[in-house]
Amino acid sequence: MTRFALSILVLACGGPFLAAQPAPFADAKVIHTLPWNSNVISAVAFIGNDKVAAGNKHGDILIWNLPARGGDKLDPVRRLIGHTGEINRLLVTPDGKTLISASNDRTVKYWDVLSDAGEPGKVVLNDGAPLKGVVEKVAKIPDPPPPYEVKVVVQKPIKELSGHKEWIQGLAQSPDGKRLVSGDDQGVIIVWDLPAGKEIQRWQCKHWVRSLAISPDGKTVAVSQHVPGRNKLLVPPSFHFWDADTGKMKVDLTKEITGGMSAVAYSPDGKWLAMCRGNVELEGPTGKVTLLDPSTGKKIRELTPPHTRGANDIAFHPDGKHLFSAGRDQLVKIWQLEDGKFVRDLGKFVDRSFWITSISISPDGRHLAAADDNGRKVVIYSLVGKSTP
Amino acid sequence: MLSFHANNHLDRRSLMKGLLTTAGGLAVANWGALTHSQTIAQEARRSGKRCIMLYMEGGVSQIDTFDMKPGRPTAGPFLPIQTNVNGIQVCEYLPNIARHADKLAIIRSMRTQSVDHGIGGYHMHTCYPSSQRFPHPEIGAMVAKYCENPDNDLPSFVKIGSESGIYGAGYLGPQFEPFVVSDDGRLPGFANPSVSPEIQDRRGELLNFMEQRFAQQRPGDPFAAHRTSELRTIRLMRARRTFDVSEEWTRARSRYGDSNFGRACFTALKLVEAGVSFVEAAHGGYDGHNDNFPTHKANLQVLDPAWASLLQDLQERGLLRDTLVVWTSEFGRTPAINFQAGRDHFGRAWTIVLAGGGIRGGQHYGASNRDGFEVQENPVNEGDLFATIYRTMGINHRVRHYLGARPIWATPEGSRPIQQLLG
Repeated sequence: MTRFALSILVLACGGPFLAAQPAPFADAKVIHTLPWNSNVISAVAFIGNDKVAAGNKHGDILIWNLPARGGDKLDPVRRLIGHTGEINRLLVTPDGKTLISASNDRTVKYWDVLSDAGEPGKVVLNDGAPLKGVVEKVAKIPDPPPPYEVKVVVQKPIKELSGHKEWIQGLAQSPDGKRLVSGDDQGVIIVWDLPAGKEIQRWQCKHWVRSLAISPDGKTVAVSQHVPGRNKLLVPPSFHFWDADTGKMKVDLTKEITGGMSAVAYSPDGKWLAMCRGNVELEGPTGKVTLLDPSTGKKIRELTPPHTRGANDIAFHPDGKHLFSAGRDQLVKIWQLEDGKFVRDLGKFVDRSFWITSISISPDGRHLAAADDNGRKVVIYSLVGKSTP
Repeated sequence: MLSFHANNHLDRRSLMKGLLTTAGGLAVANWGALTHSQTIAQEARRSGKRCIMLYMEGGVSQIDTFDMKPGRPTAGPFLPIQTNVNGIQVCEYLPNIARHADKLAIIRSMRTQSVDHGIGGYHMHTCYPSSQRFPHPEIGAMVAKYCENPDNDLPSFVKIGSESGIYGAGYLGPQFEPFVVSDDGRLPGFANPSVSPEIQDRRGELLNFMEQRFAQQRPGDPFAAHRTSELRTIRLMRARRTFDVSEEWTRARSRYGDSNFGRACFTALKLVEAGVSFVEAAHGGYDGHNDNFPTHKANLQVLDPAWASLLQDLQERGLLRDTLVVWTSEFGRTPAINFQAGRDHFGRAWTIVLAGGGIRGGQHYGASNRDGFEVQENPVNEGDLFATIYRTMGINHRVRHYLGARPIWATPEGSRPIQQLLG
């Protein structure tokens, strides 16, 4: 059979079959835009499948209810007050009842996300300062649209953990919801009994803890330490596995893992440990996303192409097959875990521009929330369609 | 329009002396002062003043250090803390400096013109814009010329690290060029001789003999300046141990911080103690177009113990009264926070801090407006700042030099020292 005849056969027989198997997430699209326009949105988290929380650099946290269908103008319904510094991380307990926040104000706070009780209040959207005073290198950006006021329910924290004395950049929980681990810029790591909010263990690292994760069995804490510098890291970054029960170092991966990691995460099934390089902007394709063996720390593969100028966040999809990463190139990238194949980008690449600072995937895997610095808003993607199971 | 008074009239003799005529008949620059600068130098030397310049390379944020705007949209994540002077607050990551606020004169109304690194560095080292295409000397060279102790074996102008840029001695001549050592204050490798002191001395004598013969045949200021530089280098080799602070550093490190900048500040202390007129120590990494806040915090954690310990040690050794410490940069940073969590270059309202040397501490001078976008009172430009520094050092800020026949002043016309800061 000639090559030409073979091609005809493939087109005749295989073509329709291939057309029925589009790439996963091929139909992903934006269905909601949640405007805030106040300050940089630094953390975002799904609460169940129909609510989203976002925190900004002022220390405000807002919650939006997401309707089943897209297209409506959405305003926040709740405002969580209490933090006085940037919200660095948000997570929701596995039972969906509690939102936990870590902040530059040196506290971790718990919020009851099921209760609608609270004081009536308001929040002003689009109140961000115009970016005047920018004299070079950065294009002048239009002022935000006119401010407007939204009525919200104002809620206060139900618990506060005050064991840290520096900015808290690292926050993670075990999948069973029993342990919480936090790390700060003084190099202090604390393992907490999550429901009780009591310290179980604490230890001191040498440098700033900028990202961490706790293994699904709750026994290992993976920690990236580095001190950010402008053109070079002031001290060499390091990466370690620590014993969560004793606070002793288990594995030193500093030689194998170079660069400061902005996010570290274990897959819920414990098969993968993922991390992304960022935290300080470096020119070029520097936002590498890497998969490691979670027990040995051995590098399995680096995912390519990397984000440009750094990556900010990562999230495993609940299907156990895909990893999402967010970068300083205004992109969310989707990767296939098994072979490391790049699936697609969400968003449009722009170099030296706005960042996607944080991402979260709904527990049912049908939606992605991305904190988009362009307009200081949260963008909700639908991930479902013909292409996605 | 330039005008000349009778007592400093540019007469023909001065003009001819100011011109060095080459064999080809071309007039070239004559290094050095012509008129009353020698008298000024004698006066300044008698004052025994020295200067340490701490240069924050990249442009340091005024709002995240000494001109904080708590509660305003431009504030950033840092909180102000109280200092040892009522009414003066500084960033929470300057806790050691907060204990020395009584020594600080904080100028919060700097309005400067050159807001990119190269031109800003030049302008803030010379007080003239680089666009003038004049070989203006940097401030260290000017201080070296007027305040140096000619009997001292050490160089009069030392730059620790080259991160802040090297702008040179310009029309003052090569003998006032900076002597540049490494970032942590150590001497470069070539400064360690490979021969014994006896052989060095014999070589020095031979060189001196040859130079004298050469000088007899070729009189002229450039050759004299060259010989002076060479002789000073030989003397420096004898005094090089001053740069070796290793032994004392093991004890000082915990106070200054275990960093290159900490060691640079300690070396600066030792150098002014040994009679060096001007030492510049650079601390890099303030160009926070993105990620400004964590990087700024990291920088302040290095700056704070080093700067505060320097002030403390100068005071304890009785040197602060005669040692001016200047904390400066090429410009400030925008009050607005850009979309990459950064601040950009900004010259319209920023901050410089002076301490010691007779400066009246414990005060603010000038102010920016509510959000920090404009100067609200008492604007200070580059010339005013340099006039204040020169006055403090005992140097006439309007001292005149010549490039060929063209007069050049140490500071631009209209520059005025800030009287409120002078002790």
